[in-house]
Amino acid sequence: MPKQFVGTLTLWAIDSRLILSMSINHDPRLAVAIAGIHFNNPVLGASGTFGYGLEFAELIDLDRLGGFVTKGLSAKPLPGNPPPRIVETHGGMLNAIGLQNIGARAFVEERLPLLNRYDTRVIANVFGYSDDEYIEAITILNDGEGISAYELNISCPNVKEGGIVIGNSPTAAARLTARAKQASSRPLIVKLSPNVTDVAELARAIADAGADCISLINTVVGMSIDVNTRRPRLSYGTGGLSGPAIRPIAVRMVYEVAKSVDLPLMGIGGIASTNDALEFMIAGATAVQIGTANYYDPAITMKIVDGLSAYCGNNGIAHIGSIMRSLMTE
Amino acid sequence: MIDIVGLAETNDEIAPGYRLLRLQLDQDVEVRPGQFAMLKPRGMFEPLLRRALAVYRVDGPRRISFLYQVLGRGTEALAQIGKGGEVETLLPLGNSWPIPSNQERAIVVAGGIGSASVLMLCEELKQADVETRVFFGAANAVAAAGCGLEDFRFCGFPLALSTVDGSAGEHALVTAPLERCLKEGGGRGVTIYTCGPWAMMKRVSELADRFEVNCLASLEAPMGCGFGVCVGCVVAVKTDGPLGYGSYKRVCTDGSIFNAKAVCWDINAMGH
Repeated sequence: MPKQFVGTLTLWAIDSRLILSMSINHDPRLAVAIAGIHFNNPVLGASGTFGYGLEFAELIDLDRLGGFVTKGLSAKPLPGNPPPRIVETHGGMLNAIGLQNIGARAFVEERLPLLNRYDTRVIANVFGYSDDEYIEAITILNDGEGISAYELNISCPNVKEGGIVIGNSPTAAARLTARAKQASSRPLIVKLSPNVTDVAELARAIADAGADCISLINTVVGMSIDVNTRRPRLSYGTGGLSGPAIRPIAVRMVYEVAKSVDLPLMGIGGIASTNDALEFMIAGATAVQIGTANYYDPAITMKIVDGLSAYCGNNGIAHIGSIMRSLMTE
Repeated sequence: MIDIVGLAETNDEIAPGYRLLRLQLDQDVEVRPGQFAMLKPRGMFEPLLRRALAVYRVDGPRRISFLYQVLGRGTEALAQIGKGGEVETLLPLGNSWPIPSNQERAIVVAGGIGSASVLMLCEELKQADVETRVFFGAANAVAAAGCGLEDFRFCGFPLALSTVDGSAGEHALVTAPLERCLKEGGGRGVTIYTCGPWAMMKRVSELADRFEVNCLASLEAPMGCGFGVCVGCVVAVKTDGPLGYGSYKRVCTDGSIFNAKAVCWDINAMGH
């Protein structure tokens, strides 16, 4: 049976969570599918800004959220970097959290059962210090019920082993992607770093290695200095810049990757409004992930879901997918 | 925890550099002593992030006040809010000061604008009839007024005032009269509640250790979100470590109030 058909069957016949979703009035114009996964809308919370999802349960209606990506999960819990870990900049912030997380096992056992009460797609972001550690984390997560896909974090700028970030090398990224795809029982999204010379080359290598979807961008490496102490403001020295300040970089990179590969894309980078989300979709993204804006406006995802519906209504759009890759260049 | 828009009733400067922001809310919110809120003028793009401010006082079920010092971009933006101004308000956040029912005596050590976190505590200690002494430290007389000295005096507890420049009260760090008190046996059966600059709380914690007194400290750290997702506001603690040597806890949701004994005071959550 073709893979897509299985996905459809799952959606309409088997997925009991659909019954839950009947009570919510989802706008059918916003539904999208990526790698056979059905999303009620293309608005997701981005990894590292959405915790394990449950933290938002008091603040938004998680059933109305297209999905979210967990904080990066490693095979074993990680302590993270010493403070200070964040510093605000103009139009954004730098972070060097260092992937503090509860570990894949605790996520599967403690958080996932609670998340399964909600009709939203859960994507597990996966991290390791070596290829083997990535595979170990995926193997643990394969046991978890209710994870829709994995997002491979090959681009965190705040953890390095031997000075190498896997995501900066097409060869290393392709090797890990292929292994992860083989180990994974679920669709594989690979999250790209902007801190590369040629993002399209990296995307092609990952697509050829078997990725089902590409998400981009991760944070941009930056630095902020306290002029009184002449020390970096972050204990790690450098950090990842996020927030509206990086959005034009991200839109450009999504556009470049969309021209280079046929895979579905998730756009990430400083999205803080409906129009920001639309920019990414026109540039080539099927869905978007909202990051830093969740911090200062915890209901931003809901506002963007409503905003996309309004955009469809105002512009006579039958399906939001029709604006994807619709950039006019002449 | 709710995210609502508060309307500013007042935002007056009560001393140069210090303001009291009183918000009218459109919902009932229960705030416990020591809890905080994340605030930002509505619709303001810069600065991006909200600022964490301790709730100074609950003036009614739908009316709360924040006492703050204007220190940087975030608090400068808050200082611009006029009467009727709209403020994005996420609250109540963090844990609260515990007052066990069998507690008989307490010491409150407030340093600088850290006072904002302990006024409600003092009011509750008064209500619970706990014998309390207040040690109130500030840089100078103006700062002491700005940090709500008169409100603390109004609680009626014995209060030792000290300033760094000697312009009011004793010319000393607040920890000096505290140390004298503990030396004279004032720490028996006491819980110390403290909030203030990192170095001050570190010293208070050392004194509490030396005199074997229970000590709770409300910590501060730069916060991205205030509700546990950014994991940016951590403090190093000595227990529950995934690696066995300790771990990082979020000031926003694991605190902001910690047992002072558990805190690794050599790693300043605020930076250098």
